[in-house]
Amino acid sequence: MFVSQSALGELKAGKARRALAESRSIKKVVVLGANGTMGFGSGAIFASAVPEVTFLARTKEKAEQGLAAACKMLRTNTIQARVKCGSYDADLERAVAEADLIFEAVTEILDLKREFFARVDAARRPDSLVCTVTSGLSINSLAEGRSDSFRKNFCGLHFFNPPNVIVGTELIPGKETDPAVLDFLEAFAIEKLGRVIIRTHDTPGFAGNRVGFKVLNEAAQLAEEHGPLLIDALVGPYTGRAMTPLATIDLVGWDIHRAIVDNIVELTKDEAHETLELPAYMKELMEKQGFLGRKAKNGFFTRDEDGSKLVLDPKTGRYVPAKSIALPDLSFIKEIAECHRRGEYEKGMALFAKAPGDAAKLARKVIAGYIAYSFERVGECTDTITGIDLIMGMGFNWAPPSVLVDVLGKDAAVAMIEEAGLRVPKLLADAKPGEKLFDVPTINIGRFFVAG
Amino acid sequence: MANVYIIGGHQTDFARNWSKERKHFVAMMREAMLGTLENAQLDPKDIQVAHVGNFAAELYAKQGHIGAFFVEIDPAFSGIPTGRHEAACASGSIALLAASAEIEAGRYDVAAVVGVEQMKSVDSKTGGDFLGTAAWYELEAKGVDFPFPKLFGKLGDEYDKRYGLKDEHLAAISAINYANAKLNPNAQTRSWFMNYEHAMSRDEYNGAVGGRVRISDCSQVTDGAAAVILASEKFAAEYAKKRGIALESIPRIKGWGHNTARLRFEDKVAESKNAEYVLPHVRTTITDAMRRAGIPDVSGIDAIETHDCFTTSEYMAIDHFGLTKPGESWKAIEEGVIALGGKCPINPSGGLIGAGHPVGATGVRQVLDAAKQVTDTAGDYQVEGAKNVQTLNIGGSGTTSVSFVVGV
Repeated sequence: MFVSQSALGELKAGKARRALAESRSIKKVVVLGANGTMGFGSGAIFASAVPEVTFLARTKEKAEQGLAAACKMLRTNTIQARVKCGSYDADLERAVAEADLIFEAVTEILDLKREFFARVDAARRPDSLVCTVTSGLSINSLAEGRSDSFRKNFCGLHFFNPPNVIVGTELIPGKETDPAVLDFLEAFAIEKLGRVIIRTHDTPGFAGNRVGFKVLNEAAQLAEEHGPLLIDALVGPYTGRAMTPLATIDLVGWDIHRAIVDNIVELTKDEAHETLELPAYMKELMEKQGFLGRKAKNGFFTRDEDGSKLVLDPKTGRYVPAKSIALPDLSFIKEIAECHRRGEYEKGMALFAKAPGDAAKLARKVIAGYIAYSFERVGECTDTITGIDLIMGMGFNWAPPSVLVDVLGKDAAVAMIEEAGLRVPKLLADAKPGEKLFDVPTINIGRFFVAG
Repeated sequence: MANVYIIGGHQTDFARNWSKERKHFVAMMREAMLGTLENAQLDPKDIQVAHVGNFAAELYAKQGHIGAFFVEIDPAFSGIPTGRHEAACASGSIALLAASAEIEAGRYDVAAVVGVEQMKSVDSKTGGDFLGTAAWYELEAKGVDFPFPKLFGKLGDEYDKRYGLKDEHLAAISAINYANAKLNPNAQTRSWFMNYEHAMSRDEYNGAVGGRVRISDCSQVTDGAAAVILASEKFAAEYAKKRGIALESIPRIKGWGHNTARLRFEDKVAESKNAEYVLPHVRTTITDAMRRAGIPDVSGIDAIETHDCFTTSEYMAIDHFGLTKPGESWKAIEEGVIALGGKCPINPSGGLIGAGHPVGATGVRQVLDAAKQVTDTAGDYQVEGAKNVQTLNIGGSGTTSVSFVVGV
């Protein structure tokens, strides 16, 4: 039926959002740290929407390298006409004074960022907006010592890498951020920057990294006993993700992974705390053998000279050929993937819920942990489960927890959590049976179930 | 014509890459059809006949007999009459024509139409070669890299020869389609970078692919499916009564046009040498649909979903719809007529350039978008107050053309 009242509501909401996005003039943006990956990536997004963007780095040459990378990322040279490049020493104060929005993307070191914010605070107009792209540092802590007007106009705007492909973006207020600033930035980021905005609280790792790295780290922990090859097969694409967890850690970098989980472990206390502790073997390999993941051509997986896949043995720190590793019977994965291949996701996940054997049980433990941990974080990291759903779906490209519950059915999801020996989150226990939890009709849920 | 109502519809997100999801095209058909049933609040057993539009699954997926795959969507479809329809990029519209003809003839009361194409299963050069089979392959495409951009480049050249054509106007068409796509949550390019300056740029990031046609002038290689349910007046009246809605609020196909020109582009152009329009059969398709809908001219059309496989084809559509005199399409661009918010927006969805072009699905997607527009359910790309929306779907280089007027 095309007679849809909700679409009418959406039409009005869209109109109001577009009007709000136009309510403030954002003509000049300054990007600090424009030579880094997040700096040039975010800078590229701003340059596609704003008439004048200034890329700043330690030197003008570095800022120019950032611009070249931004052009390559967007596959256009046209943004060169909108981007000016400069250095912190020569240009920061002048550029910041003229800017409507200052976007900070320097290295993730608290004191370094604070130094920059002190300079920004001294130079900025009282009405300019200031955002940080930090993925882990506290927004409140970054705002400490700054002026009232700075704190009112400051918040986190956490893009995921690469931002031209991954549209999920976290918007994080500090305790003194003006609500009107947040409302405007949300509308501006949606309408002008093409973002999907998820509001989170100022908690360690915010929502996406908190939930996402819990799952990744648990996979790394389990790899010690069961081996990376088996774990990545068990928590593979068929469970609702484009990339397997250990391959993701290799891609992100072991150092980044470690920084994120260490930060969360240090600053949080929750029911699954031990799953966020970096496995000792990873720490040792990083410190003794310089393990960093794909960027150092090591990690859980690598290839030998003739291109055949090698797998890390976490117990010995040595690589073994993937072909030499004996895996248990994983025929249930093949059956589930075949269902996904035909678009029969409910049937596939019903097989998952009932698949016999220890291997299937282990896979369910990780997925149950993901679902339970997500629902437990509502209230702490986001106001609603939809926020966590959106950042996992549009930031990590994983099946959102609510989608998994909807496709499994509430009873099967609860049974899976109980089988794993975990507490059933109240929010999930209270959900009405048969009621769909994922309430974003514009997103195809099938996209998350990869037939691999 | 007897009234044919559009009871519901759904499309897949055209940004998805189903090869990366490692899926069979039946998954695409399934998602589109189950979404349509949900939208229509109908059960599989309500569907009496199914028509599938698909161009070239034999090439892209090495699979024929595509109509039969409809039965694989749900066990309740077992036994249902099905058929597959092919007319290159107009395949989806031909499936719609067949389904609506059966309803008009009184054979069935409820028909499902699914358009589907999986194109990302091959590299772009191989895909370009497959698309060449929509032309006269042996004469126009064999051994040619990307034959279709070249053919539609020639359409631009023909306009240039007869009336003059500026690149600026083609770039504006591209920029409008991409901008509209940003409002459409199913559009393939909704998060891509594009603007007028880029469409006018001439460097390595916007290379020429066929004469005057550059990357920014092209529609996309897309995986996707779209489906609608068509119903007779009898069924629609009962359906409306049961749900407490007015029959008049359900969109219907008010008129249709359908013509086929000679296959080779140069033969078409030779035929139209002294004609008013560059592609006269396309013009007739459009005016036939308006006439059957009882709409005298384009002033009775509130928005258009046209076949912008390239910017040159949309440029052609502007004067062929009658928005300007022949050869003066540029005026409608400059005056803002075709932009969202203009007098007659073209492709509020983003069209084939912005929303994507899964070949066999496009005709169905256009009619689905038209139905959304006339029922005020198009969300952020809604054309305010639209009552009548016309589609134009083209197979080959203007060879098979089909147009529908959808309205309430």
